[in-house]
Amino acid sequence: MKLNLKEITLSIVLGIIILTLPLIIKSPYQMHLIIMLCINIVLGLSFAMLFSTGLITIGAAAFWAIGAYGSALLVMNLGLSFWLALPLASIITGIIALVLGSIIVRAPGVAFVVQTMVINMIVGQALGQIEFLGGWGGILGIPRPNPIGSIKFVSKTHYYYLILFLLLLTVAVSYALYSSRTGRAWRSIRLNPRLAQTLGINLFRYRLLAFIIASMSAGLVGSFYAHYFGTIEPGTFSVFKSIYIQIYSILGGLNFYLIGPIIGALIMTLVPEFLRVGKEIEPILTGGILIMLVIFLPGGILSLPERTRSFTAGLLSRREREESLH
Amino acid sequence: MTLDLFTQLLVNGLATGMVYVLIASGLILVLGVARIFNFAHGEFYMLGAFATFALCQVLKVHFFISILLATLVVSLFAAICYRLVFHHIRGNLLLCAAASIGLSMMFERGALVGFGTQERGLPSAFSGVITLGNVAMPLEKIAVILLCLAIMLGLYYLLMKTKLGKAMRAVKLDTEVAALQGINTMRVYAFAMVIGCALAGLAGGIIAPLFSITPGMGHAMLLKCFMVLIVGGLESMLGGVVGGLVIGMTLSFGYYFLGGLSEILLFSIIGVILVFKPGGLFGEVVEDV
Repeated sequence: MKLNLKEITLSIVLGIIILTLPLIIKSPYQMHLIIMLCINIVLGLSFAMLFSTGLITIGAAAFWAIGAYGSALLVMNLGLSFWLALPLASIITGIIALVLGSIIVRAPGVAFVVQTMVINMIVGQALGQIEFLGGWGGILGIPRPNPIGSIKFVSKTHYYYLILFLLLLTVAVSYALYSSRTGRAWRSIRLNPRLAQTLGINLFRYRLLAFIIASMSAGLVGSFYAHYFGTIEPGTFSVFKSIYIQIYSILGGLNFYLIGPIIGALIMTLVPEFLRVGKEIEPILTGGILIMLVIFLPGGILSLPERTRSFTAGLLSRREREESLH
Repeated sequence: MTLDLFTQLLVNGLATGMVYVLIASGLILVLGVARIFNFAHGEFYMLGAFATFALCQVLKVHFFISILLATLVVSLFAAICYRLVFHHIRGNLLLCAAASIGLSMMFERGALVGFGTQERGLPSAFSGVITLGNVAMPLEKIAVILLCLAIMLGLYYLLMKTKLGKAMRAVKLDTEVAALQGINTMRVYAFAMVIGCALAGLAGGIIAPLFSITPGMGHAMLLKCFMVLIVGGLESMLGGVVGGLVIGMTLSFGYYFLGGLSEILLFSIIGVILVFKPGGLFGEVVEDV
């Protein structure tokens, strides 16, 4: 990847802003929003990773829930340290994803969408019905992360740096995967599964790998969420959360696996906050903006520069626009 | 288990099952013909219930006439939504899904702001019981079953015998070939959307005396309809009918014998079905999305 001077300066400035964000933002509520935004971005990235192999999931929230509940139970029942429970929760989520994935990844397309949705529904119901898992009231009083030295995880700033680390980890792992042989295989599967198969790419294995890694990253932030929030309840992890997660990718641009979900999550998390002035009609405005974006920018926000370029060049004939819809 | 209890549970299951069938077949019609995964479908059902309530309770129109008028209102809404939103992104499943989520957010909150959070109910249009031998059945449940049955027969006639129905089936099979035969596919899309949402609206009107009417009822119903689609398959109307009845019966009998655990059982059964028949009982696995 070649970077020119402009891009290097831009990324340095962005990096400094991200690192010093707690110094700029003083209000705890706004810090909370930023932390939730980071969680949403990781969930959006996990959707995008599966989408890069041509699979659409409506089950991201289920694995988020498994991570959260797994970590909370490990810490509260077995007395493990948070720092051990965090990777363990992710691994447990990965193992569950391996078992479930090897059953459902075989049927791509709409069937996969539906099956992930069923998994999400089962997880939601099971969490609510089984007393051991806290029932509909959820688990209360999940302990904070154990202190490291003088960092006691009292203020939101500490949590911010922790989730930032997890986010950057996810981005780094995703970036490494996307630019490797695996990522190329994923993209080729999305473009044309049959052709990819004839070229010797094992569809099942590559899709299963994407499913496991995506679920593990969801489980990782699930564990963080449980200890950050202190309480978890089944309602948070409903199918509708999973449905919202796919909007992040669609809004940002489905062809941008890394930046797309980030932009989309940014919009879907922050726009409702700016619209708080609208008080109770806020969802109406958010829904309206969502519809407008989908209609006028079908390729996502990130397709905007390309669109304006081709528009000014007068290259975008009506025929091409029709084709770009498909 | 006595015969009386069995009949009660059976009638309950049939009544809720038929309502699921009605709403789910609308969802299947919209998905199959217009290629829209309509997450706002539950909202049209809610709208139907509220419109029926408003006409019947506030304007004192007769119950059946208010159902019909409410269906008209819902159809009009669906037509407007189709023309303003889905028409521009037709054919793209994911974009349509995202747009319908936006619509669902707008409608649900709109109803919340307009009607408030309190639960409403209509007095039943039919009271009393039918007694067969020594088995008593509530008349209103029987009425719901018969009404839904009549509507489903009408839908069957529409799809199988009329020109519009044939056009819809052709578009569902292959849009391009259908267009080559001179079918105006855009008109067919619009009609599918309107008829599908009208079915949801009708169902909303029919259940108005049975369940409480709240702005959140659409979401709950949408989840049940997803289950119906999952059991029956996404493509087939027959699957919708079977799926709806299976879900209705399972929930009715399950709640009595197992309580809350029945839903986990139901989902697990669905999971097992999906392992062996990934497209649902009557569906096929579709490779491309």
